[in-house]
Amino acid sequence: MTDPILSVENAKISFHTVAGQIDAVKNVSFSVARGETLAVVGESGSGKSVTARAIMGMLASNARVGEDTKILFDGDDISEWSDLQLQDIRGRRIAMIFQEPLTSLNPVYKIGDQVGEIITAHRKISKADLKREVIRLLDEVQLPDPETRFSQYPHEMSGGQRQRVMIAMALANTPDLLIADEPTTALDVTVQAEILSLLKDLQKKHGMAVILITHDLTVVSKVSDKVVVMRQGEVVERGDTQEVFDNPRHPYTQHLINSDPKGHPDPLPETAEPVLSCSDMSISFLLKSGGFFNPKLKELKAVDNISATIHKGETLGIVGESGSGKTTLGMAMIRLGHYQKGEITFQGDRVDHLSRKELQPYRTRMQVVFQDPFSSLNPRMIIRQILEEGLIVNNIGGNSAERDALLRQALDDVHMPHSALDRFAHEFSGGQRQRLAIARAIVLSPEFILLDEPTSALDLSIQAQIIDLLRDLRRKRDLSYVFISHDLKVVRALCHNVIVMQHGKVVETGPTEQVLTDPQTPYTRRLVDAAFNVLA
Amino acid sequence: MSDHITDPASHAHDFEMNAEVATGPSLSYWQLVRKRFARNRTGVIGAIICCAIIFTALCAPFLAPYTPATKDRSAIYTPPQMPRFIAQDGGLTRPYVLGFAEEMHPVTYEITFQPSPEKRVDLALFVQGPEYQFLGMNFTTHFIGGAKGAPVHFLGTDGLGRDVFSRMLYGSRITLLMGMIVMGMACVIGTLVGVTSGYLGGRTDTVIQRVIEFVKSFPDLPLYLALVAVLPRRADPMLTFVMFAAIVVVLKWADLARELRGKVIAIRSVEFVRAAVAVGASDKRIIGRHIIPNMSSHIIVWATYVLPEVILLESFLSFLGVGIQQPMVSWGVMLNAVRDFQSLASAPWLLAPVGMIILSVLAFNALGDGLRDAMDPYSHD
Repeated sequence: MTDPILSVENAKISFHTVAGQIDAVKNVSFSVARGETLAVVGESGSGKSVTARAIMGMLASNARVGEDTKILFDGDDISEWSDLQLQDIRGRRIAMIFQEPLTSLNPVYKIGDQVGEIITAHRKISKADLKREVIRLLDEVQLPDPETRFSQYPHEMSGGQRQRVMIAMALANTPDLLIADEPTTALDVTVQAEILSLLKDLQKKHGMAVILITHDLTVVSKVSDKVVVMRQGEVVERGDTQEVFDNPRHPYTQHLINSDPKGHPDPLPETAEPVLSCSDMSISFLLKSGGFFNPKLKELKAVDNISATIHKGETLGIVGESGSGKTTLGMAMIRLGHYQKGEITFQGDRVDHLSRKELQPYRTRMQVVFQDPFSSLNPRMIIRQILEEGLIVNNIGGNSAERDALLRQALDDVHMPHSALDRFAHEFSGGQRQRLAIARAIVLSPEFILLDEPTSALDLSIQAQIIDLLRDLRRKRDLSYVFISHDLKVVRALCHNVIVMQHGKVVETGPTEQVLTDPQTPYTRRLVDAAFNVLA
Repeated sequence: MSDHITDPASHAHDFEMNAEVATGPSLSYWQLVRKRFARNRTGVIGAIICCAIIFTALCAPFLAPYTPATKDRSAIYTPPQMPRFIAQDGGLTRPYVLGFAEEMHPVTYEITFQPSPEKRVDLALFVQGPEYQFLGMNFTTHFIGGAKGAPVHFLGTDGLGRDVFSRMLYGSRITLLMGMIVMGMACVIGTLVGVTSGYLGGRTDTVIQRVIEFVKSFPDLPLYLALVAVLPRRADPMLTFVMFAAIVVVLKWADLARELRGKVIAIRSVEFVRAAVAVGASDKRIIGRHIIPNMSSHIIVWATYVLPEVILLESFLSFLGVGIQQPMVSWGVMLNAVRDFQSLASAPWLLAPVGMIILSVLAFNALGDGLRDAMDPYSHD
């Protein structure tokens, strides 16, 4: 084994908060050598990002680093260094890529200036050379047409392109160590694969050491040489990636590896009556462009002439990348979002022309679960108030005792303890909150639930639990779902039929198994490839 | 490298089920705010001073040795008398003040006051003094004063022989009352208008926003002067007070309304509000249960910032003589007595209310800063 470029020894990091001391990282050690990729895997709250920030000396002000903590970079203990000393190696010898490409670039500077700044911060270079160097870097990260990109602003590029710019910035001074903190999580699946293979190529070319922080085991198995599994601030398993995957010793690792959504939807009865159907749905937004004296209106067709039918007991998946119009369609179907044109029939009644008041009787019968469990529960209410709201508004359960019984029943169904009722939403984890959001929907005993990416904000192992829960609930309460997702693995486990959308249009539709095993269009094939073989 | 791997058995089962709910005491949002606020030293000191100022204002008649109208004809423009604790011969003694020996300057005929060791006045608690009304009852007991009814003026007297210290305590009542009324009314109007504008949107929003711009584009100082000048000269001081408060409210609500409108638009599209729409909640319920509670911290912080602004504005306009009118006493009205250089030079102690203004503005700003930091929902510490 070659000498490690970075080794972290006995890292202990705690945060002092009003609620007391939180030990985020407890006694973590690992090392990485040149040319090696180390994956640090764990779920949110496992301390993996905190460790990475500690290496860069970028911890929050209320963080305390333990006394025995040693961070040896190329032989020097940088945990003792001052900010000024660290500044010299940040961006030059250690570079970092962040999760969110939309916010990690400064929107008011041109791409060329931002990449150039990293270079001029560490070495003197003439203006012409600088430009040539930046364009070479943009070219190296395979951005098409780097000369034009040089003078573009971040908003003119897509998420994947911005992440490429971030990588170019990280590579600007040919660092010895690259820390990538969830570099692909915020990107669409097809883009994820491209970014990962780019990272792998660049690492080979420059012989960098890479620390890849991720919660996605598929990424780990394809890209990394060694892996460290973290849980609640501790290392539970470490080793060569292949070995850990073939023979996981710690039960938590086994649990993680087995947490891909499994199983298949229950078979549909032959003759099921339709619950919700829509036909010829079209929704478009008018975008203003052009100047004040020359205004132009551009029509953006978010949903373009789409028809769909959901039968009793069926789960229909709507799949597509961000911006494909899948959420707009879903929200319009339950008359919660923008609606313009088309027929919507819910159990034989036309609901497309109804006013908000006239929709009231239908609200208890069609419910929704949103994507982000952190913003879908009112932070100022206790769970009882949140769950009870629909009952009170719709006069279900005459007195508080009856309502209480209904709430407890719903909590049992989502496997949450009754003690949750008197707590606030911020006391629960993401998965628990999503269970509570599901409880809010099912307490009204609906017949149909729209699930808008309910698992995409959750950790992988919790995703699987929520999928199981949804499948159980469907059986138990005889529900029908529309499941909006970009994740085909989840769709395969849950949906009978699937609609693939791109730019507001249906690209492909049919039974899930058929669409996934034999995709007819190149777009669907790309989605399938990205989901099931990360690096093809 | 130490090979630290935790014992697998200890974690074998707790991740299987995701339902491990926190068991400690449940901290509500406001409890968290209180805890965070308690760590901010400046904020806590500010809060203590604010409470003290409000307490002084409430109990002013009892704490002050005199009423604001009590005139001591034997003491015109007398300088402050500081309480002393050390007797003439050196030992510690009960607190006392020294009376004055009057001397007339032989050339300028200016009367000067020199503390005279012979005229010792002992201080006493719970002394009898001028009658005042408190909670609808008449009292004559004052918290502090000269023993046996001897005159004591801690901060000196003004040109009519009125006690500056007493008037300053009474003045805090009118000044703070003005601040509180304006703050309360502006919050109510600003919240109603801002929420309506942001929630309804569309044409209502456009109209309300243009009205706000109209209000905000007023040059406020000429407006104050003009509106107060319209009032009859011999108008009841109470009427002037109410009018003055109303004018300030009219000019202050617009800021809050505009800030809240932006917040409402943001909260309106958050998923918990859309979830409430999905269960069929009415607009009234959504505004009352979801939107306003989530803006309460913003409103409270705005209120603690607007109060010192009104205190300053009141002092400034009353100093110019266009705000609160005599015989009502406010800090600004008291400063009105030192408009000219002559009275400022001969009786600088009349500036004492400036100290109170500075103290209260700093205290309320510190409180506001502390609250803003403590209520920040994005702070994780």
